Amino acid sequence: MFNAETIAKKYSDLKTLPHVAIRVNQMVHSGNVTMQDFEEVIRLDPVLVSRLLKLVNSPYFGLVNRVDSIAKAVVFIGMKNLRNLVAVEALRDVFKEGDPAEGFSRKNLWMHSATVAILAEMIATRIFGISGEDCFLAGIIHDIGLVAEDQVAGEQLRAACRLFNAQERSIVEFERESIGTDHCRVGSILARQWNLPEDIQKAIRFHHDRSRDVVPESPIGILQMAEYFAGKVNYAVVTNQVEPLAPSLVKHLKMKLDNYKVIIRDLPSEISKAKELYISDG
Amino acid sequence: MLDDASFDHVFADFEDGRENIRRFLGILGLLLPDLDLIFEGDDGTKTTEAPYLPELDNTDLAVLRASIADGSVGFTHCRGRLYATAVVPPLAGYLLLLFPEQYSISDPLAVMGQMVTNCIELARNRFEQHDLAIVNEQLQRQIEVMKRQHLQLIEDNHRQFRIIQQKEKEYARELESEIAGRTAELRETNQRLETASRMKSDFLANMSHELRTPMNAIIGFSGILEETPLNGEQLDYARTIRTSADSLLALINDILDLAKIEAGKLSLEINPYDLKELVESVTAMFRIPAKEKGVDVSWYIDSQLTDQYCGDSNRLRQILVNLLGNAMKFTESGGIEVRVEALRDTGGDEIQVRFSVRDTGIGIPAERQKAIFEKFEQADTSTTRKYGGTGLGLSICAQLVELMGGTIDLTSTSGKGSCFFFVIPLISIREDEKESCGSSTIKQAAGSSVHLKVSEGGRRVLLVEDNPVNQKLAMLLLQRQGCLVQVANDGVEALERLKDDFYDLVFMDIQMPNLDGLGATRRIRELERTEEGAGYRALADRDHPIPIVGLSAHARQEDQDQCLKVGMDAYLTKPIIKDQLIKVIQRFLADP
Repeated sequence: MFNAETIAKKYSDLKTLPHVAIRVNQMVHSGNVTMQDFEEVIRLDPVLVSRLLKLVNSPYFGLVNRVDSIAKAVVFIGMKNLRNLVAVEALRDVFKEGDPAEGFSRKNLWMHSATVAILAEMIATRIFGISGEDCFLAGIIHDIGLVAEDQVAGEQLRAACRLFNAQERSIVEFERESIGTDHCRVGSILARQWNLPEDIQKAIRFHHDRSRDVVPESPIGILQMAEYFAGKVNYAVVTNQVEPLAPSLVKHLKMKLDNYKVIIRDLPSEISKAKELYISDG
Repeated sequence: MLDDASFDHVFADFEDGRENIRRFLGILGLLLPDLDLIFEGDDGTKTTEAPYLPELDNTDLAVLRASIADGSVGFTHCRGRLYATAVVPPLAGYLLLLFPEQYSISDPLAVMGQMVTNCIELARNRFEQHDLAIVNEQLQRQIEVMKRQHLQLIEDNHRQFRIIQQKEKEYARELESEIAGRTAELRETNQRLETASRMKSDFLANMSHELRTPMNAIIGFSGILEETPLNGEQLDYARTIRTSADSLLALINDILDLAKIEAGKLSLEINPYDLKELVESVTAMFRIPAKEKGVDVSWYIDSQLTDQYCGDSNRLRQILVNLLGNAMKFTESGGIEVRVEALRDTGGDEIQVRFSVRDTGIGIPAERQKAIFEKFEQADTSTTRKYGGTGLGLSICAQLVELMGGTIDLTSTSGKGSCFFFVIPLISIREDEKESCGSSTIKQAAGSSVHLKVSEGGRRVLLVEDNPVNQKLAMLLLQRQGCLVQVANDGVEALERLKDDFYDLVFMDIQMPNLDGLGATRRIRELERTEEGAGYRALADRDHPIPIVGLSAHARQEDQDQCLKVGMDAYLTKPIIKDQLIKVIQRFLADP
């Protein structure tokens, strides 16, 4: 049996988030940086530069003019979007590893995370009219705890996934029984280590928590709904296992059903626009 | 469209699948309030808002279903009531419209059919508009978010711009203050160094007298001591004292020379001299040591060169002695040759002359040749131990040659010998000048009482000047202009001369002992104005006051003004420039 700290620590010892990602995240929140500073930090990794520019110029951002430098990217898509892209690049490889196994694979998890991220951003902007960059980041990173568990306690995680029945109980309960902790706790510890915004740490920590009165407009609420819809459109963490929504979210959803239908209807085209983000090159 | 087949199930938990049907019926109900609307789903479900409906069995339904027309509204009677039927894609099933009892199929169906069709079409439009409204709403929100993000971007970019500007300014400021600081530091250090250097040089230059006086006593008395009755041991001691004192004096002289040169206090003393005599005497000095070592010393003077030149012969001798001394020191066998050759005539009285001292000594390695003229340098530090010497000699030579307007250099091959050579301009003395130049020396030696012969054509000039070098120089220049020159050493002597002899022009130095130039001029003008002047040959019986031209090393305007104020007619700064002197002479002596 493990506790969350042990898994987070063991995982951090094995895999560190690239220095560039951590530095960029700090810079976004320091408020005293310029595009040149971003350029200087990111330039150290030429592969990252070319990948970022590819993402910035992808249909996802729909820019009219081609962006050919990191400094320009900051100007056109903003610091937070740049941070998100750096995170995407940092995590992409992390999700690539590991053998696909019955019920759980990191590759599925990556598609799940990307879908949740896209949905979370759509919900934030289209339903609540708030900017969705932080929700996107929360989405792309919310299941990092599962990767850590897979790395440190792979067997136990797989056992939990085999037993998991979404209609009975949440995945986190199966994890706790099999591993001793759950990916929400592990993920939030990692997010804190990486100095991600507190809202995002919280969203990761509680994205399976149906006991509390979840506010639909909060990052937690948005992340939970995105998680739910991703499962419903066949991008669940464990195939065909979708946990039911918290009561407050069900109420909200029923009221806004037509709105969400439009989002689900538009989802395929959004996913295809963001293809560059989640499809791995190799 | 709304129902994307693949995502139908997403919202299954929140609806029974008939929300759309109810919504459509609601919209159509508003358009056709008199009709009861029933939707018969393909799955057999019945959806209606009507409170009361007639019972319909399967036979009835079959009749009703049969009336559905393709693309238009069908009509039929069922249990005595009029029904219209229609399919409303994409809703799965068909629509039943129950007319009130007074309607029958005998009514004009075409008109009614058209009306119902229109209403259904309208309802469908409104139904879809609802969907569009939601899309529109979401687009509006997205636009709002984008606007905010856009503003944020602009703000961010502007902020970044300001930060960059700020950083650039700070950087520029830092750089500036850094530079200013460094410059000030350097200036201060430089000043300190200059002051220190000057103080050191001044100190050494001023030590000259204090050092030489006791040295003279030591050398003098050790010489006298040798003359007194002494036993062999005592005589040896006394000689050792004298020879040591001799080398110490030489060393002191070297150091003081160098200090003087550096302090800018060394000036050349110009005398006429015999070049051949000078070279001969220098080589003669080394005859004895040469004999002792078995080294041959010879000299050669270019036949182009005359004997008589004007210059600082003592310093020239010093240079030659130094070079010859070095050659002797480092040569064990073979020979040393001193050569004096004319290089080229620059026209006039000046000629470039090359002096060289060649030896067959140990030579100097190429890498040391550059540094050899630096202070305290020798070819090899080990030579100091083997051959002695301070390393000052060549440095002094180089400085003296430079002072004479020439350059010094060497060629040398290690183990084979060296050749030191320098090229300086020499000023030759013409035959007619020789005597006067020489006679002034004699006059100096004999005191100041010898009168010069007055030649008929010459204009008489009185030169009042205390410095003998300057006397000789000015005299030479004036004689070349055809003047007869007589010298007075100060103002008092000048007045004496004016009493005894007639003069056409007076050159008056300013700073002199006893009576300076300003005082003397004031006195002369005073005498000219009074009866007393009659007693002076030079001042009496003149049409004009005697012209007096001031001579001074000070070039300041106020010095000139002062000269003119006391009654001088013109003013020349020293060193005297030939052209200016000629102008002055022409101005005052042109018309006899």
